[in-house]
Amino acid sequence: MTELAFLSPDRARTEDLFAPRFASPLARVLAGTTAVRDLSQLGKIEVRADVDAIDVDAEVVRITSRRALVLCPYEQCAELRARLPGMVIDMTGALGGLELEGERAMRRLTDLDLEALPAAGKVAEVSALVLRDGERFRIFFPQEFAHYVGEVVLDVLEGIE
Amino acid sequence: MRLPQQPNERIDRARPIRFFFGGRPVEGFEGDTIGSALFASGRRVFSRSFKYHRRRGLLCCSGACPNCMMQVDGDPNVRVCVEPVREGAQVHAQNVLGSLERDLLAAVDHFGGPFTPVGFYYRTMIRPRGMWPVYEKFLRNIAGLGRLDKHAGRSRRFDTEHRRAEVLVIGGGRAGREAARSAAAEGRQVVLVDERGVPGANGDFEVLAPARAIGIYEGGLVPVDAGSVLYRFRAERIVVATGALEQPLVFPGNDLVGVYLPEAARRLVDEWSLKPGERAVIVSADDRGLAVADQLQRAGTSVVESIDLRSAPPRQLAARGRRGRLTSVVVDGREVQCDMLVASGGRQPAYSLLAQAGARIEYNAGRGIFVPSDLPANVEAVGSVAGELAPAAVPAASFNGADEAGRCFVCVCEDVTEKDMKRAIAEGFDSIELAKRYTTVTMGPCQGRLCHVPAIRLFAREQETDEATIGTTTARPPWAPVSLGLLAGRGHEPTKRTSIHHRHEEAGATMMWTGLWRRAHSYEHAGNEALNVHRALGVIDVSTLGKLLVQGPDAARFLELLYPNRFGDMKVGRIRYGVLGTDAGRIMDDGTIARLGDEQYYVTTTSTGADTVIEWFEWWNAIWRLDVETVNLTGSLAAVNVAGPRSRQLLGRLADVDTSNDGISYLDAKETLVAGVPCLILRIGFVGELGYELHFASPYGEYMWDTLLEYGADLGIRPFGLEPQRILRLEKMHILIGQDTDSESNVLEAGMPWIAKLDKDDFVGKWALEHVQERGFREQLVGFEMTDGVVPAEGGQIVLGGRSAGRVTSARLSPQLGRAIGMAWVRPELAQEDTEIEIRVNGGVASARVRLKPFFDPEGAQLRS
Repeated sequence: MTELAFLSPDRARTEDLFAPRFASPLARVLAGTTAVRDLSQLGKIEVRADVDAIDVDAEVVRITSRRALVLCPYEQCAELRARLPGMVIDMTGALGGLELEGERAMRRLTDLDLEALPAAGKVAEVSALVLRDGERFRIFFPQEFAHYVGEVVLDVLEGIE
Repeated sequence: MRLPQQPNERIDRARPIRFFFGGRPVEGFEGDTIGSALFASGRRVFSRSFKYHRRRGLLCCSGACPNCMMQVDGDPNVRVCVEPVREGAQVHAQNVLGSLERDLLAAVDHFGGPFTPVGFYYRTMIRPRGMWPVYEKFLRNIAGLGRLDKHAGRSRRFDTEHRRAEVLVIGGGRAGREAARSAAAEGRQVVLVDERGVPGANGDFEVLAPARAIGIYEGGLVPVDAGSVLYRFRAERIVVATGALEQPLVFPGNDLVGVYLPEAARRLVDEWSLKPGERAVIVSADDRGLAVADQLQRAGTSVVESIDLRSAPPRQLAARGRRGRLTSVVVDGREVQCDMLVASGGRQPAYSLLAQAGARIEYNAGRGIFVPSDLPANVEAVGSVAGELAPAAVPAASFNGADEAGRCFVCVCEDVTEKDMKRAIAEGFDSIELAKRYTTVTMGPCQGRLCHVPAIRLFAREQETDEATIGTTTARPPWAPVSLGLLAGRGHEPTKRTSIHHRHEEAGATMMWTGLWRRAHSYEHAGNEALNVHRALGVIDVSTLGKLLVQGPDAARFLELLYPNRFGDMKVGRIRYGVLGTDAGRIMDDGTIARLGDEQYYVTTTSTGADTVIEWFEWWNAIWRLDVETVNLTGSLAAVNVAGPRSRQLLGRLADVDTSNDGISYLDAKETLVAGVPCLILRIGFVGELGYELHFASPYGEYMWDTLLEYGADLGIRPFGLEPQRILRLEKMHILIGQDTDSESNVLEAGMPWIAKLDKDDFVGKWALEHVQERGFREQLVGFEMTDGVVPAEGGQIVLGGRSAGRVTSARLSPQLGRAIGMAWVRPELAQEDTEIEIRVNGGVASARVRLKPFFDPEGAQLRS
């Protein structure tokens, strides 16, 4: 089996003629705003294995007993891909991500129970994974919806101001 | 003129507020409603009625009836009796031709009666049918509510907010407040919703006001209208404390200006310090109505007669007036001069929300009220809504005397009279649900608050039965009118964009929808873009393709079972075309399958089919339980197709691989770096020319696009969009799922018998394809070439001897071939090379010849070059 190198953005190489540029799907919509943090370049690795057996120095978000999303700094992706058990799929390019503050904004974005996070559900009508740290919320969603989600998030924040 | 300060007045006389009615300034105070301020300025006529355009004045002052609906700052149908005054507001009358005092449409009331009985529009305006748009326009102009400002657009912002509450209390009256306090004392998280405000709330619980619960749905979902925000509450426990509604009496002239419900009189005096009239008559079924005499006397209004329906109910009651205003009341033939009549038929529990939640509604004959029972487990009723009401008389269905002139309204919203109800019953609408739809009683803005019980009572009398037998009509959300803007919320539409999307926009592409995706239709001229692919080099963003990974020891067996063709015998690094079928043998999706390893396949699907296909895969594997994993990689990967005779030259400059046929031949899949980015290269040819599809991590979409255009500039590279791609694929007779196929199509009749390996042990839909083979073909998908160059419409009919013999699925003018070409489903006897067929075009018939091989490069030499 191949390692599916073409899935992993961190495997791009700067060579004599070429200098690949990683572009966030949120780059345009979030340009100029400080209210929302772009997490798209965070490393995101899906693991399909016994989640309890995952032992790495990274944030492990349990989705089911046999499925988890491991979040890590971009630079750590290669190391984790090598160390993680089971089927490992690099989802860094697949998922857009952003961080925002405020429960009120989240209530306008999702009907998920904000007291029972992390959880997967709809955010701005798009399937997403939501994590909470106090008043800060991290949302991960398919990157193809990123620009749309960014627009909705900014619109919601504008409505609350 | 205001009364001296009243003990419970709500206005702050130190804070005047000015607004405009019909362009003229009106002064009110903080705490006033627009209605109370207008009343204070001397206004008594607030609206014209729905059908007859009769004058209407304040009736309930509680936001229940339609009598005070006006246009406020462009919003129609605002009940000004409960709408707080605001500085500078522009208020206008609605549904009038002229003014409130002189409405030319009032002619309907004077002359139209005999011609406009209930349901007249069902009988009188049905022929000729073509005239209905004219009738409809006429009716809408003379009858109706306010008008929407067509130019307002999204002038107001409406948001939706999801909330959770352990206990949601609906109604901030005494019982609601007590329930909220009690739950809060138990440590529960409580939210209380009320239409006005909640005096005495001290922070034990959250108060949301002014706000109105508009329904109770399954799962404890309660939408709450808070003006500019729609709260969608999920509550563990719902306490309904919506109280009771005063019911009007049914008698001739009961809609005259000057006829009030008791609560209106009380609020005018107590809250806004207004004198409602000079001489008042009170007719009430309960003490609450009779008690208004205290307020009236305090206001200086003489109560000239007070009638308790419990002890001395009159047989006949009528209100008389001049120019729509009350001048006297006739009680059993005795006329009493007055300018105010407080009339109440007692109170009725406001049970609609409970009924929506699933409660049973039963009639209590002794008390003359409908009472909720058998409440759902998580719903509770407290206070008046539960039937905790003081004793009251059961009023007569109507007090209409045979000799009394004047309309006797059962429903003031829709101008439905007692006569209308009788007529509906006589015409056979003898169920309350049918009569409701025919007469529209209870269907107006009050949603039955003031007419539901009177209508049932009248119905029971006319049917010579009781109210319990008649029953209630179905209670449905919304419980109160709600603006469409609030229901719609913000105008966002989930949209998928590829990681190259903005480059297409920057290049001036015309964008189009394909499912949720935004795609480039073309950049300049579709025909020229297609030609450039044939002659030089084109690049198209195909990131929208579905992309799935199928991996595991049983991966080959899994695909063999899903697809009609074989994948177990494929060599690693090779690609095969696959058509996915349903268990009924119908074509579901198509794409390519590349074998990346012994236990690893990379599957592409159509752009709109990815989600369906992965669900299909997972559904079947839940049954088969094979050792295989499926992963949706659609968003992970961007993809571009570099196509044209110079594509090899370009790839040679960028890729770390031998791009000749020795290095990567037709239908090969190879992983390599392209411009420094790891790519999976698929050498396939959907557009019919030498081509390479590059699949790589999405974040490099723009970089790869820019690099291809930069390094291909001297080779004549140009981007091409979806439309030129459709021309190119049609030249090759490559099908488009959903365009050339429908839910009945199968691979055999679609001209792809080589796909179906019926000698395989099994695959999804095998039995169905065997059946098709046994029964013979009913139609076949073929190509056609127009003889005179005209392009038929997609969906156009193939005709044979004047009768339908098939349909066109695709048709385009091919700039490469210089001919109009297409694909069509035809009868099997027509599916022969060079058969002449006729196609309906622009009302005439054009001739074409059937083609069974691709129009362009039928042997595939270009693809393999």
